[in-house]
Order: sequence, then C-alpha cells, then structure tokens
Amino acid sequence: MSRLLDRNREIGAFVPQQDDDLIICRCEEITKGEIRRAVHEGMWTLTEVKRFLRAGMGLCQGQTCGRLVKGIVAKELGVRPSELEDTTARCPTRPVEMQVFGNEVHGHE
Amino acid sequence: MKRYELIVIGAGPAGLSAAVEAANAGMSVAVFDENARPGGQLFKQIHKFFGSKEHQAKIRGFRIGQQLLKQAEESGVEVHLNSVVMGIFDLGEITVQHGDGVCHYKGDSILIATGACENMVPFDGWTLPGVMGAGAAQTMMNLHGVQPGSRVLMVGSGNVGLVVSFQLLQAGVEVAAVIDAAPQIGGYGVHAAKLARIGVPFYLSHTIVKAEGTDHVTGAVIAQVDESFRPIAGTEKHLDVDTVCIAVGLSPMSQLARMAGCEMTEKGGAVPVVDEYGQTSIPGLFVAGDVGGIEEASSAMIGGRIAGAAAARRSGYLPEEEFREKASALKASLGQLHEGMFSPKNKGRRDLTVTDEGYLLSKTLLHHGYLSEEEVAGFPGAAPGKSAGIHPVIECTQNIPCNPCQDACRFGCIRVGDHMTALPAVAENARCVGCGMCVASCPGQAIFLVNDEEEAGTATVTLPYEFLPVPEKGAKGVALGRDGRVVCPAEVVEAKTAGFMDGTVLLTMRVPLEMSMKARFFKTGEGTK
Repeated sequence: MSRLLDRNREIGAFVPQQDDDLIICRCEEITKGEIRRAVHEGMWTLTEVKRFLRAGMGLCQGQTCGRLVKGIVAKELGVRPSELEDTTARCPTRPVEMQVFGNEVHGHE
Repeated sequence: MKRYELIVIGAGPAGLSAAVEAANAGMSVAVFDENARPGGQLFKQIHKFFGSKEHQAKIRGFRIGQQLLKQAEESGVEVHLNSVVMGIFDLGEITVQHGDGVCHYKGDSILIATGACENMVPFDGWTLPGVMGAGAAQTMMNLHGVQPGSRVLMVGSGNVGLVVSFQLLQAGVEVAAVIDAAPQIGGYGVHAAKLARIGVPFYLSHTIVKAEGTDHVTGAVIAQVDESFRPIAGTEKHLDVDTVCIAVGLSPMSQLARMAGCEMTEKGGAVPVVDEYGQTSIPGLFVAGDVGGIEEASSAMIGGRIAGAAAARRSGYLPEEEFREKASALKASLGQLHEGMFSPKNKGRRDLTVTDEGYLLSKTLLHHGYLSEEEVAGFPGAAPGKSAGIHPVIECTQNIPCNPCQDACRFGCIRVGDHMTALPAVAENARCVGCGMCVASCPGQAIFLVNDEEEAGTATVTLPYEFLPVPEKGAKGVALGRDGRVVCPAEVVEAKTAGFMDGTVLLTMRVPLEMSMKARFFKTGEGTK
C-alpha cells in the first residue's frame, strides 16, 4: 500500500493511446482516456476516480466496469490491480427509486 | 421487524442448499433473491453434471434445481423472490426492497450466497447490441426460448464458453468459432471435443479486436496475440457473425460482505476471509458459493450445506459432535470434487504434460479441441484389440472428477476406481453386451460403442446425440470425424432412447469398417463442411 499512498511518486506524463476513445463505463459513458487522464490529474484511488468521473455510479453500479476501471488505474499507476482498494460498498447495492427507498414498510409480521 | 434464525441472501445452489440444511436442523429460515425465479444459474444448466452419484452426476442441472426447490419447500424454508437485499447492517439487520417499499429483517445468522457476475473485456465495438455475456445468451435460450442470434463468436474457452457454445448449437444457432487468448483450451477436453466433432473451429492465442456494425453486430475481427497478449498486426481475420458472446471468467459479487465489514482477501476478485465452515470475520455471518471464490454448482451446493450446518450449530440446533460428523463427511465429498487437473489448486496451470497415471496428455485436444486417432488409442478406455465385436471406446483423457460410467455398466467392464479423477479403463476381459448404458451416462458425451463385427466390411458406431430433430432409422448422411470433417457416408440403423437417459439419444450409424475409429458424429444429408 505504501507506494499507493506516496503521492509524490513519479508516474510519468499522460501519453495518449490509440484506444483512449473506448467506452469503459457504459452506464455513464466514461472512456479509457478519461480514466487514464484522471489518474494523471491525481486520482490515485478507485474511490477518487469514481467521484471524479462517475464511472461505476450508473445503473449497473460498477458491476460491469468495476474490474475494468481497476485494471486501467492499476496499469497507469504501475501496481497490481489487487493492490487497489475497491470503492466503498454501501446501501443501496442496487439502484432504487427514491420514492421506494423512502417508503419503509412496517408491521408485516 | 421480522426476525429469522437464518437469513440467506441468494436462492442459487449454494443459498438453497444452506437453507435446506439449516431448516432440516430446525431453524426458521428465509431466503431472499432479487430474481423472479429461484435457482440462480441452475435452471439454465441443461447439460448433465459431472461428479459421482453422491454429487448427482449425470443429472441435468435444472433437474437438480427442481429437486433443491422441492426440498426447500418441504423443509419449510420461506423463499422471497423479487426481493432485493439493498443493505446489510450491524447486529444482523438487512433491508430488502420488495415492490414499492423497503422492509427490515433481522437474522440471528446471515448467509451471503449472492454468486458472481460475468467479466467483460473491452474492445472496439463492445458496447454494440449483439455483444453479450455467455450467461446472458444462456438465459435467453434456456429460460426464455429465444435465440440470441444466428451466428455467434464465442470469446473464451473455459467450461462456460464450451458448454454455452454447445447449447447454442442445440438451440439451432451457428457457432463460427471459439477463441481464447490463452495458448490452450481452458475447459474440459470432453466439452471441447463435443464442439470440434460438429465442426466448430478453435482459435487459441487469439483475441477479438473489433465487433463491426453501426447499430448492431454485423461481424467480428479476431487476431492472433503475442506472448504478452497483444494482437499481432497482419493476423486479423474477419468472421461473419451477428453475436459475440463473452466468457472470460466470473467475479464474485461480494459487495454485501464488504458492506458488512468483513475482512476481505483476493481470490479472482475481492472475497471475504472465511474459516473452514464458511464463517467470515464477523461471527454469525457466513458465505457460500461463488461469492467466496469462483467454482461450480456442485461444490457450491456442498459448501452451502456446510455453512448451513455451521449456522445451525451456532444457534444450538446441531450438537457439536453431530455437526463435526456431518461437516467432515461433506468436506470429504467436496474434497473429491477438488481433485484432478482442473482443481482449484491446479487452476490455470499449463505445465501439465501427463495424467496422474502417466499417460501423455493430448496436445491436439488442448490446441484444437479434439483427440487425434493415434492419441486416442493410447488411453486405457480406448486401447484397441481388447475385445472383439461390440465394445465401448472411452475418449476421456484428462483427470476430471467424474465416474458415472463405472456405475453404468452392469457387467463391470468399465473401471474408474476409488479415485474419481482417474481415467476410465475398459477391462481386459470385458464382456460388452452393447446396451449403451455407458454412452448415455457420460456427462462429457465421450463414450462410443463400436461394433467391428457387424457385417462384412462394415461397422457400427453408437454415439450420444442431443439435437433435434433426431435422425430416423434409415436416414442417410455423412459421418464426421473428431475434427468435424466428413470422413465417410453413413446410415442410421437405430435411434434409441429411454426416460432415464433424459433426452440423450443413442444414435447408431453404419460406416465402412475402416472408419469405426474415425467416425464420431452423424450429419443428415450430403454435408461437406
């Protein structure tokens, strides 16, 4: 983890790649280039990338792209994907309408 | 807030097994599942399972699902469907979205059995309609009766890719090719061989570079990869397909375990750290099945039963001694499934060159999906000259945990032995009566009956056939070799089936005598492919 916490570490400049236009997060339409650029702008954790770009905050809640984003960020940082901490898992795990979320059902004994 | 002694999240094979085990011990159990139907992926599994009798080998997955559901019903388990567990909190509380409201429940113990989701691989055009997970294609075919497309490229040669490819063919969909970035086929050789003999080509060390089309898939481009899995320029190949299925592995859906605060580790994705009975770092919180590490349904069911029993012990429903006895029997059963070339400890190994018995593994099988005739003859199930007349030829050449063939033969002609992963051998003094029970029992469809003394100059080959329509007696066509190429003309002399074969037809075809060890599939008409 220490390498990840050392934000002074040099990871080099952003170098454009041929497939930077490839969409990675389908729900929020975030491209590979945007994710790689975000790392070079200082987003070194998956949580930061998520909040910065909204990758993984759409309908599937990162079920499809989570692993892909992790791989791209890890490669950019020069670490193994398993070294990166996953984004926080919190309620609700699935997208839910606010009117449902707020409708607590009581007394169904 | 309603309270249960055990709450199970996920009504798949692991969750239902755990629920049944706990309920049978006396616990009040509720299972919540977000889907409209119970069973997880089990009801999509139309193929026969591997293993031994106690692992319900040679029974089709969806039937195992039906049995499990019945057991759940009989044991008094409450199964709540269309119920999304949204959150898990301290002291065993969960929130469940059901309909347009949210309910709270409390479990003395909670068992997470949420399974896994399919991995994706991004490439140019991967967001086009027509690109889908292999599991999605399976759902369309086997649950909804819809063909996912008319011609498919399968990306991934693990068991999921191989099994789904075969099911696509059964559903009347063409499979243009199975590709894999790895240099050899990842799944069972017997699954690959079923595809190869129908003519499906395998491209190993290949990846998909592009799905073509503007609003749906109209083609795909694949290319060979170098040792670092990068496409090699100039090796591109265009395939005419309208569907691309992705079968590149699964990831555990462990969000609820993380949300609960379980200590996690890495095992093909984040999974909770568990003790030998599936309990996480949080007392009373268990996991079972793929959410704790990707395996398959048979081991998920046993793992579920172990965790269910552990929950029952925790609540005082199973005395310590009884629990230990049960758990150790279940673990022994699980241990049997964890042996062989494809076991968790051998996962992804590419350095194996011989079987446990010392037989040289077939390279043709690993690289092209079929055994060469010379290779077949070297294995104990297919050694020539052992018995004259009708005899089984068992083309099972890898150490996989499976032995129904041994039980199938009433005359003891076939021997696997106590070690379920051993290669089946045909006994020296086998007295085959040609009943075909072994052919019907093999989940890998790898057993053939060959009769070299049928009539002068001809032989018959009996093969397992699982396609519709079934060719009728007298039907003329061609025999295909293990590689799917036409080897000779052939005529159907019998198409036999029975209830216990559960849909498998024993198709007997007459071929020229010298073709008896080459002909392995029948195709009606004058096919030339």
